[in-house]
Amino acid sequence: MPGVDPVFDIETQALAGVLDQLDYFQILKLEQTASPAEIKAAYFRESRTYHPDRFFALPDGDLKRAVGRIYRRINEAWVCLRDDEKREKYLADINGQDRDRKLRYTESSEEELKRDRDALLGTTPQGRAMFQAGLLDLDAGRYAQAAQNFRMARMYEPQNVYFQEKLEEATRLASGKK
Amino acid sequence: MANDDIAIGIDLGTSYSCVALMENGAPTVIPNEWGERVHASVVSFLEDGTVLVGNSAKRNIITNAECTVYSAKRLIGRFYFSDEVKKAQAVMPYKIVEGPNNGVRVQVRDAIYSVPEISALVLKEMKAIVESYLGREVTKAVVTVPAYFNDNQRQATKDAGKIAGLDVIRIINEPTAASLAFGFGKNTQQRIAVFDLGGGTFDISILDIGKDVFQVLSTAGDTYLGGDDFDDRIMTWLAERFLGKTGIDLRLNKYCLQMLKEAAERGKIDVGHDGTASINVEGICQDPNGCVMNLADTLSDAEFNQLTMDLVQRTFKVCDEALQSARLTVADLDAVILVGGPTRLPVIRQGVKHYFGKEPMVGIDPDEVVAMGAAIQAAALLEQKSDQILIDVTPLSLRVGTVGGYTEKMLDKNTPVPIERSKTFTTNRDGQEKVKIRVYQGESNQASECALLGEFEFSGFRIAYRGEVQIEVTFEIDANGIVHVSATDQETGQKASMTINLSSGLSDTDIAESARKNADVSLARGAA
Repeated sequence: MPGVDPVFDIETQALAGVLDQLDYFQILKLEQTASPAEIKAAYFRESRTYHPDRFFALPDGDLKRAVGRIYRRINEAWVCLRDDEKREKYLADINGQDRDRKLRYTESSEEELKRDRDALLGTTPQGRAMFQAGLLDLDAGRYAQAAQNFRMARMYEPQNVYFQEKLEEATRLASGKK
Repeated sequence: MANDDIAIGIDLGTSYSCVALMENGAPTVIPNEWGERVHASVVSFLEDGTVLVGNSAKRNIITNAECTVYSAKRLIGRFYFSDEVKKAQAVMPYKIVEGPNNGVRVQVRDAIYSVPEISALVLKEMKAIVESYLGREVTKAVVTVPAYFNDNQRQATKDAGKIAGLDVIRIINEPTAASLAFGFGKNTQQRIAVFDLGGGTFDISILDIGKDVFQVLSTAGDTYLGGDDFDDRIMTWLAERFLGKTGIDLRLNKYCLQMLKEAAERGKIDVGHDGTASINVEGICQDPNGCVMNLADTLSDAEFNQLTMDLVQRTFKVCDEALQSARLTVADLDAVILVGGPTRLPVIRQGVKHYFGKEPMVGIDPDEVVAMGAAIQAAALLEQKSDQILIDVTPLSLRVGTVGGYTEKMLDKNTPVPIERSKTFTTNRDGQEKVKIRVYQGESNQASECALLGEFEFSGFRIAYRGEVQIEVTFEIDANGIVHVSATDQETGQKASMTINLSSGLSDTDIAESARKNADVSLARGAA
């Protein structure tokens, strides 16, 4: 029985106590460079250790509460890190200046991610429309036309690096075709 | 020996229920004293005050129609104004009335019962079956619910357990339970789909099952689709043809309607079994001159398939959703398991085979596998060295109400549980004493299209200028899929006190009172 091990008991309660200072990689005992397969393996490993069902038969008390808190955070970490897009955003967050406030991926992280994604696709109606037209041209193999549309889009939003990137791609393809 | 060392698994179904127990390391369905292994989820209130539950009660649906309650699961945890309740009122011979807080009540003679009280009588019977088999009391149980049940329905099911004198140690999803029974002792690594079509609900779950970890990847469902709907189609077909031949509409009389329903259910089973069904009901009604009329008709395979094709197709729409959520296609699946009585129908089996591109697994009893899985989970929870873990998900997104009838998503559907999410709310008036938030489950950003779980009112925080008080509200979904809400004042760290409004649920006092009444009820032992 896991609960009778006094070392496990002490360690678990200590972990629950510092939970709010750990990032999701630390919770899952992973390097920040971990691959999706490693993340999944870590999630299973930590689930085997901390899944509350394993402690169900114990009397209610501090250990059970600690396990509950830890496991909810393990699930939270898994939900964030299993998603490539969320993981990328989270990595930037915890390695940035605001680390302490961004240890947990919240609805505001979600909003920022959505904003970032929107920003990539254009922030002005004209830029957005030109860019979309360019993407369609690109898909259809009309590379010269695509380059033209991306160039127009960039005129409305000169700062948009994604527009720039797509323009270069279309230009390269257009010249390759000739 | 204390009686807390044993826990039973109960499949509380819309039409039928089943109870199982771990015996000598294997999940075992416990029959009643007449050898019946599945029991109609029907409760019949007899004149002498006793209550009949199970297959013998089912025979009273016609003879004691107004005092015999069936398909209560369709009503559990729903609001009185919901469509499902309106539909039930039109077809059920028993009386459905409105209770406090938009709740649903059933009236039998002069007595009023909440829906959990009715389900509690079915649970009491399941408990009694095991107790008479073992010759000792049992008090702990794992009870199954459709995976797509929302918080209100789960909570009400748990309440039913409490009323029946059972400590419901876990609410577990039916397809998940089926997968536990399927994978029990197999020691394989497989990705499976569980296709669960019950009497009143449909669920599909996709899981990875391994040696020690069972992980639900996604689940989807329809709590308005089940075997009953297939019966309804046959009923309408029979009634229309009878109307054409005789000019009498059998559906206008609730007594005829019950005979028709019984005939339709038998017809469905026969057509599934034999490819054709002769449906004969003697004396189904009287013509205007008082002559007794009989119903005689034949339902062929082809006709039945045509009548129900759209229902079958609806299940596959839901399957699409589950696969999409899991980011998988049918080619990624190793096996398909069928659960629920209606999956015996060839029209379902062929549809499933066609959709998934493989034969469904054989050798699994679709009526018993859920109760067996519940028994496995019950034993695993009580065992202190259980190595098997189960990771399930929440079937519905959790939302909070915002202004103008909109909602904001807090937790996505198919998020593993237990899980929590916090959100900070501030006061918007000076000196504000209370903060109210409404919590919903569903996939629409419109509040009106989601299920309201309740309105939570927080108080007991500091009184200050608007915007100065920040209240952190934490939403937690536990392993039962039940939602818990709590709040703290962020600056002082003090827990805010909370009251719940607009909930259809029963209060603790209601439950205690109901439990007392349930304990007083004696179950009639009707002959098989």
